[in-house]
Amino acid sequence: MAMTPRLFLIACFAALGCAALVAVGAGTWLIDNRLPKEIGTEVRDIVLVYGGGIAFLLVAVIAVLWAYLDYAIAQPLSAIVKGIQTVVLARSDYRIEIEEMHQLDGLPAAVNELIRQLGITRTGINEAIEKATASLEQQKTQLETVLLDLHEGVIVCTLDHRILLYNNRAVQLLRIAGDIGLDRSLFHFFSRQPILHALSRLTTRLAQGRYDSPLAARQSPLVGATTDGKHTLQGRMSLILEGGKTATGYVLSFEDDTAELAALGLRDRLLRESTEGLRAPVGNLRAAAEILVGDPGLGSAEEESFKKVLLQESQFLCDRLEKLSAQYRDVITGHWPMSEIYSYNLLQNLADRLREQRGIEATIIGLPQWLHGDSYTLIELLDRLIARLSDRFETTSFDLETVPGERWVYLDVLWNGNVLPAADLDLWLAEPQEDVIGRLTLREIVERHKTDVWSLPDRPGRARLRLPLPPPVQAISGDPMTAVPPRPEFYDFDLLRRPLELGELGIRPLKSLTYVVFDTETTGLDPTGGDEIVSIAGVRIVNGRILTGESFERMVNPRRQIPNESIRFHGITDEMVKDKPPIHVVLPQFSTFVGEAVLVAHNAAFDMKFIQLHEAESGVNFAMPVLDTMLLSCFLHDYTPKHSLDVVAKRFGIPVHGRHTALGDALVTAGCFLKMLDVLEAHGVVTLEEALAVSDKIIQVKTREANF
Amino acid sequence: MAKSILVVEDEPNIVLSLQFLMKKAGFDVRVARDGDEALAAVESQAPDLILLDVMIPKRDGYDVCQTIRANPAWENIYIIMLTAKGREVDREKGIALGANDYVTKPFSTRDLTDKVKQILENAVH
Repeated sequence: MAMTPRLFLIACFAALGCAALVAVGAGTWLIDNRLPKEIGTEVRDIVLVYGGGIAFLLVAVIAVLWAYLDYAIAQPLSAIVKGIQTVVLARSDYRIEIEEMHQLDGLPAAVNELIRQLGITRTGINEAIEKATASLEQQKTQLETVLLDLHEGVIVCTLDHRILLYNNRAVQLLRIAGDIGLDRSLFHFFSRQPILHALSRLTTRLAQGRYDSPLAARQSPLVGATTDGKHTLQGRMSLILEGGKTATGYVLSFEDDTAELAALGLRDRLLRESTEGLRAPVGNLRAAAEILVGDPGLGSAEEESFKKVLLQESQFLCDRLEKLSAQYRDVITGHWPMSEIYSYNLLQNLADRLREQRGIEATIIGLPQWLHGDSYTLIELLDRLIARLSDRFETTSFDLETVPGERWVYLDVLWNGNVLPAADLDLWLAEPQEDVIGRLTLREIVERHKTDVWSLPDRPGRARLRLPLPPPVQAISGDPMTAVPPRPEFYDFDLLRRPLELGELGIRPLKSLTYVVFDTETTGLDPTGGDEIVSIAGVRIVNGRILTGESFERMVNPRRQIPNESIRFHGITDEMVKDKPPIHVVLPQFSTFVGEAVLVAHNAAFDMKFIQLHEAESGVNFAMPVLDTMLLSCFLHDYTPKHSLDVVAKRFGIPVHGRHTALGDALVTAGCFLKMLDVLEAHGVVTLEEALAVSDKIIQVKTREANF
Repeated sequence: MAKSILVVEDEPNIVLSLQFLMKKAGFDVRVARDGDEALAAVESQAPDLILLDVMIPKRDGYDVCQTIRANPAWENIYIIMLTAKGREVDREKGIALGANDYVTKPFSTRDLTDKVKQILENAVH
């Protein structure tokens, strides 16, 4: 039952007063009643006065006590209660004010302190809420403004292509009547293949750690279309990363073709120049020709001057034409989105598609190169051409080779069969491709890359289709470590001189053997002094082809600290190898990869020493023959002391990418080795036995030099 | 015996000039107006040199060139491609398909005549 402290106090003290009055009254009455009759009124009066006096005194004391308690306890308590109510319901800055004389000890002060603290907390929370709301508001407004103002359509999607956010421009560009509708699949509106392709390119880059080096790697240009194929859209895709590592979605932005409009403008100008601008010189030419032909009475001096006009004007026309056509060439392809592509990724993508969709086995060979192009249309082009080749030559086995050239990077397709006649290729290229974006013909894809495609013979019984592509616009330096000095040559050749029973292997031609060309990166140069392998990589060569797709690459935990000077050399840090397996786990894997192949390395003695020191604990034995490209280089180019991998690669015209990674170096070594096989043959070194023999001779020379 | 030249061209105006220039230089000149005609002419009697336009009806110049090179008997025919395609890659394609030289239109008639004379006079047979 609710009763304020004051009322409760009044009730208590009223009851106490009443009880006192009753007790005194009753006592007085009893005494008065029991007094003998003979006692006179004088005494009775005294009793009554006494009783009345006591009653008065008691009531007075009770009243005073009540007043004090009311003042010192009940009123302050009520004030506190009201104060707390006020604070709770309304104001945080309220302070309870109580007279000094209260009997509540520290309670009011404690309550006030509590209120103060509450106030601070409340203010903090409010401020935080206000701030958060304001910044959310601001961000939302900003985002809306940005998206609205964008000339581009923007769509944000989850990795499974559900739409999270879009702007009006996107609706317009995709020609959608009404709303896009959140959480719907992007593929209701946008062609599927280019999206999947761009996404797989970006996620591959992310997985390979190439995502954040140049900023351009974070975006993949793409050309797509509305689902009905009527409108071609070009744009870019970027990944949305969580914690900088995992992709959670992507942003697709696609443009109105302002670039294309600019190109159209330029094309207009060129067209004007090539019509109007040529009127005058052609007019001069015509006038002079007509006079020369139609006026027989010309003097010889006049005739000479008219002939001069003919010559001058025709030469002028020729020059003009050259200039116009040079400008026009840039216009045709200028706006088509191109990016730097690593040929291996492109061919890998192509090979996967050929295998899955057409049952064609394509083997990637050669040294990967960077090139400039649009990977989506290039894959469409090569996929279709290879399908036609497969029908035509009744084969499902192709090689895809990247060949570096002076002016181009060639993407070559090789097969067993004849050369493809140019006329047939032209027919294939001219057919419109319904399911390629924008219904391009293959010829248009070729033209957009400012190139052409043709077929040429390879070794007997084999032919290739050649597609030259431009090299990257900017030199790609995926390797910041290129400036480091080459590793010192290492002349402990005992390992290469293990006695070998070559048998039949020794007399087989070098070109028919299977090789694994490998390289290691290490913590330092002293294997017996505790330096260890931090990465090992190899690539297989079969029938004179570098099987780029069949490579081995592992990082190894060296179980010791990697010194800074060697990190500078290969870029592998302690952090990178801390979760990697130790060498005795990796060597058996490498041994399996090598199988029966002949090993090849540059300065092989160095790598073999590191390997040999761990053979026993790993339970493997690399007893196969080992060829050293450094020794072979010494043999072939004995006029120079320079045989580092960089120098040898340059000498053989092998382009160098990704040097000082084990795989990069192994690939470069493989490229050099293949070139060497040709030259060795010319020097009469044809079999493995002979190659080992000349190596041995070089070792003897080197050893003698070292001892000397 | 005079050296023989086959002009493969479908534009009469340039045929006129080429024919005139080559005859004046003392060569035997025949003219073919498309790819099929060109191959027929080569088959009936192999010329020493062919001035081969790329953009001709039926088989184009590339195909004619490739077909001629596929026959070892015609290995020694010197082929100069004449073309309105002026890109570097077109030249490379021409050479890859077996042309010995590649001349872009418009060209200087004097340079072309000098070139042909030099080639045919230096030829072994």
